[in-house]
Amino acid sequence: MRQHVGLQTLSALSGITTQFLGPTKTYKIIQDDATGESALVSSCYRVLENLELTCAVGQLVYETVGAHHRIYKTGSGCLLFMAGAWSRVALECLHRGIPIAHIISAMSEGMDICLSVCKLCSIPNKELYSTPKAQPNESIVKDSASHQLSSNKNQRKLKLSRHFQQPNCENISMIPNLNSENQNLTAIARTLSHGYSEAMDLVIKASQIQSEKDLTFDIDKISTCLLPCSAEIWNCVLPGCIVPVCPEKALIARNLEKQDLKVALIDGHLTSTYRHLGYNKPKRLQHVSEVSSSDNHEEEWLERIVRLILNLEVNLLLISGIADGKLKDHFWKHNILVVEKMKLSVLKTFAMSTGAILVSYATQLNSKCIGTGVTVNIWKDLSNFANKSNHESFLNLSTIEKGGLVTVVLSSWIQGKLQSEEDAFLACAYRLHWALKDKSLLPGAGVTEMYCIHQLQKQALLYASGHKSVPPINPGTAAGPYTGVVLQLMADGFIDFVMNVMVNTGKYSKVQARTVVVEQLHGLDGSVNSAKMDQMRLKDHQMDSHYGESMICDNLTLKQEAWRKALDLVFLILQTDAEIITGVDQKQLEQRDLIIL
Amino acid sequence: MSRLEKKQPARCTDLPLKNADICSKLKILKQLLKSCYGPTGRLKQIHNNIGGQVVTTSTSVVLLPTLSSTEPFINLIRTSIINHISRFSDCGLFAGILCLSLIEEAQLSSLRKDVCQKVNKYLLGLCTSYLQQEDCACKVKVDFNSSHCLIRLAHGVISSKPACVLRESEILHITRLIVQGFLLTVPCDKPGAVKLGRIVTLAVEGLPVMDSTIFPGLLLETPDLSLHLTGLLNCGQLRTIIFTASLAGDLSELGEGTIVVHKGMDVEVQILDQLLKIGEKVVKDEVKLFMCQKVIHPVLQQYLRYHGIVVIERLGINLLEPVIQLTGAQPVATLHSIPPRAYGKVKEITIRQFGSKIMLHLVPTEETAICTLILCHRNETMLNELKVACEKAQHVLRLTLRDQFAVYGAGCSETHLAAYIRYKVNFKASKTIDLDTATMFGCMQTEYVLAAEGFCRSLESVTAALDHNGGSSLIDLTHAHHWTLPTDMTTDEMDRTLGLCRCGVVQYCKDYKWSFLNTKYTEFSPAAVSGEADVLDSFTAKVNGLQVAVETANLALDVQYIIQDTN
Repeated sequence: MRQHVGLQTLSALSGITTQFLGPTKTYKIIQDDATGESALVSSCYRVLENLELTCAVGQLVYETVGAHHRIYKTGSGCLLFMAGAWSRVALECLHRGIPIAHIISAMSEGMDICLSVCKLCSIPNKELYSTPKAQPNESIVKDSASHQLSSNKNQRKLKLSRHFQQPNCENISMIPNLNSENQNLTAIARTLSHGYSEAMDLVIKASQIQSEKDLTFDIDKISTCLLPCSAEIWNCVLPGCIVPVCPEKALIARNLEKQDLKVALIDGHLTSTYRHLGYNKPKRLQHVSEVSSSDNHEEEWLERIVRLILNLEVNLLLISGIADGKLKDHFWKHNILVVEKMKLSVLKTFAMSTGAILVSYATQLNSKCIGTGVTVNIWKDLSNFANKSNHESFLNLSTIEKGGLVTVVLSSWIQGKLQSEEDAFLACAYRLHWALKDKSLLPGAGVTEMYCIHQLQKQALLYASGHKSVPPINPGTAAGPYTGVVLQLMADGFIDFVMNVMVNTGKYSKVQARTVVVEQLHGLDGSVNSAKMDQMRLKDHQMDSHYGESMICDNLTLKQEAWRKALDLVFLILQTDAEIITGVDQKQLEQRDLIIL
Repeated sequence: MSRLEKKQPARCTDLPLKNADICSKLKILKQLLKSCYGPTGRLKQIHNNIGGQVVTTSTSVVLLPTLSSTEPFINLIRTSIINHISRFSDCGLFAGILCLSLIEEAQLSSLRKDVCQKVNKYLLGLCTSYLQQEDCACKVKVDFNSSHCLIRLAHGVISSKPACVLRESEILHITRLIVQGFLLTVPCDKPGAVKLGRIVTLAVEGLPVMDSTIFPGLLLETPDLSLHLTGLLNCGQLRTIIFTASLAGDLSELGEGTIVVHKGMDVEVQILDQLLKIGEKVVKDEVKLFMCQKVIHPVLQQYLRYHGIVVIERLGINLLEPVIQLTGAQPVATLHSIPPRAYGKVKEITIRQFGSKIMLHLVPTEETAICTLILCHRNETMLNELKVACEKAQHVLRLTLRDQFAVYGAGCSETHLAAYIRYKVNFKASKTIDLDTATMFGCMQTEYVLAAEGFCRSLESVTAALDHNGGSSLIDLTHAHHWTLPTDMTTDEMDRTLGLCRCGVVQYCKDYKWSFLNTKYTEFSPAAVSGEADVLDSFTAKVNGLQVAVETANLALDVQYIIQDTN
């Protein structure tokens, strides 16, 4: 039992994430020796996605990280790192002979401490943009009475932010002149860029296109368009959506430019043989007739559809599937633009903003199904480029009314980098989304973790000093005799995290990082030693003088969920003592040391 | 081209219980089940080795079906336990461990198998008749006037599933929801035959457990409400119709045979016309909610929505029954006519959102016994286990309607039963004539006592399996309940460490005498105790589990040959 393979595997797996913590990301190349294919990755989730994890723990980790990524798009690195750190805590506890039930109850208590720390040091969004941002207010810093954990205002001053790359000042000037209202969202967004200031600029622009009202940001209506083999200067944000089309269609689009178009939306294929999902074509249907006539069913259908569309005066047809070739020829003649393979979610957004009704068959269309207020223009004509595909032009479809769809165009000369660029953008977008949803933020750059370490150590000391009657944070969990030890070990896990982030910035060696962390922790003891903090700040200013001083924040729910999920993983694996493999064949049995039932 | 292959001869195994391979497999199975047992049981990761989903569990419902063996003998035992679980949900591991212990005890003793079988059978009868007695000291009557018993029963089930990874507060929350759901599904003040309702469970991944909740009525997941639902509907009574026939506009339900049609005729158009006639009819009849078990043709959907009707398609077979119960509608299975009594009603339709899921809430017009349990948990693995645990708990609560009893949990009733049997056996042995046992079991009295001791030890070994943290199990020699002494405590510190017995009904008393579990003690008649227990087990499931375990063990002891057709 003292050699828990599952926990060791988890600890080893978490090693892949150490390089990805913090704002300075390094790329990794994953190569498949069998096929010679390789992938360029810069996040923990993408590494796991590209690895073939067959062991049960690996699967479980991938499942957990995947679920987290689906909702938050960021923070998987933190999740896996903490899972690794805490699996080492559990291993150490097992090594010391602490029973599993005690480890679990003590670690749960540790988690409760950390969550209450988050609650205490969270900063309401309002406070973030109502005060002048992050100018250290010396009078507050020196007031030792206000250095209690419960005081929100001061936490923001106690930051390790100097270790991190600050948003580049140049980028800020790129943003078109904002009214003061819009500054609110921008202020929040800036604190969350975590080293991706360019990506965050795109997010801010997208939110501005979406709505003039501040503090609204609809993540569901943002789509990305990846442009391989082009310069990164093409990165931009556009209202509406971007679709690649062939030159013939570009020609129709050119004729339709600057017009208020009538649009019809079809979810399905526009062919005579298409039937809706769930329709079973009759298998045993026999047609009999006296005269042998040629099958003109399709012709009839074609004629009918063309007539219908012309009658309805539709200029633009957006289809989730494909359209019949002959039908497209007819439409071309009548200057009607058909765009195929549209995403269903995009069609739905168009339905909402144009008043069109999404139908399955063209025959369903009537005047009530037609939407208005769509414009099309040719965004980019790539016909000069030697592009192998016949999609040489990009159309921008947008609605006249604001608040609809926004497309972010991401481009790179290096195709392998595109995925990472999209990930970075989505990470920023989701951070802003969750910040607005949470209505509050956490002090970032390791500050929250430092408070957790501090509180964990404080509680651990209380237990260690023999107070049998230490009031547990959560009265539901019974404090065992080992709780102090476990809490101390959990704090060490956080120290590991903060150190790793610092080392990744490239400005600290491991030893230096530890010194800084220990110094800061001393500072947090009771009241903060403000002189020391100032000293640190000063030293830092010299190092990062070319960066603007600004605050760094983390997402509240995201961080809490990442920690909880990490601990869940550890608990599940800690309590597991056997793997049951089903459907193993004889050969595998011989290779591996398995017990057969 | 068919090819004839020579048939392989059947494989025959003589006396399976003497076969070392089978014996070692039995041992592994027993260890496996024991390690999963109870609130601190160890979890198992089940996966298929080619990258399929990993299931983490300690629940017999999930575990046993995956443990298929190459040995028919093992599968015989496994199947028998699975049958028990499918009927009673609970006490699967209990039955498994007890059965395997009984087999092991019979093997270890030098007694003839038929003696063991007869004694086992006799003692099983003794146990069941004792458990059925009015004055049985290890059961309590479920009091429906208070929720205490029901909550403790449900709590026992949920808390014994560590793979749910729940805190105590979360366990309590879920327990309360389940009891509430159970009470909602028992209709009250209804004349005629009482029909129990149903709890429909919807799992939502990614939300905290404390967000789990229960609603009277039904919640239906709908893919895109935003597009179709114009406003909330709550104008008193909404006329409802349910179709079980497919309204997709195809001929899929006509069955076998070929249809011959004239060339000029378009079957699709004809069917669509028929569908639209239905549409006209329901619009005329002022239907507001139109549901179909299967697919609805988009044209019909468009027509209905245009007339302000809420359309729900693809209900599925599982939701059909609850929807019928809720609305009181008679499902329509044809496209030709709608009888007037087909219509049902709902009070209102509202929209609710849980995480990313948007749901339609159908509120019944009167009190119906249908409710929807929304279960939330942080990840899929734990949510799946929680779902299983909740189903189990619901079943356990339902069983109380059949037998209005619960037995003391946490191993207390097993130790109690063992003490009771020891007392009975020795009492009989000392008072009655030797001839009696000899004629009954065809053995000497000492053999009878030996076999009975094996039976009692098996019962106690189930209790012992509850401990996974190295503590020692004790029993008090007054009530014969189960106590645990933590690892680092000595017997001198008992007064400090032992507060209550494991099920929580017996309080520590200085005067009690103690014995470690599975050590010999002088027989005594275990005394009854009154008070409220913290841990209760399902009476019905336990009695049946006991029977299944003993009968399966007896059957296994009976097997002489295993003949396997290897073709």
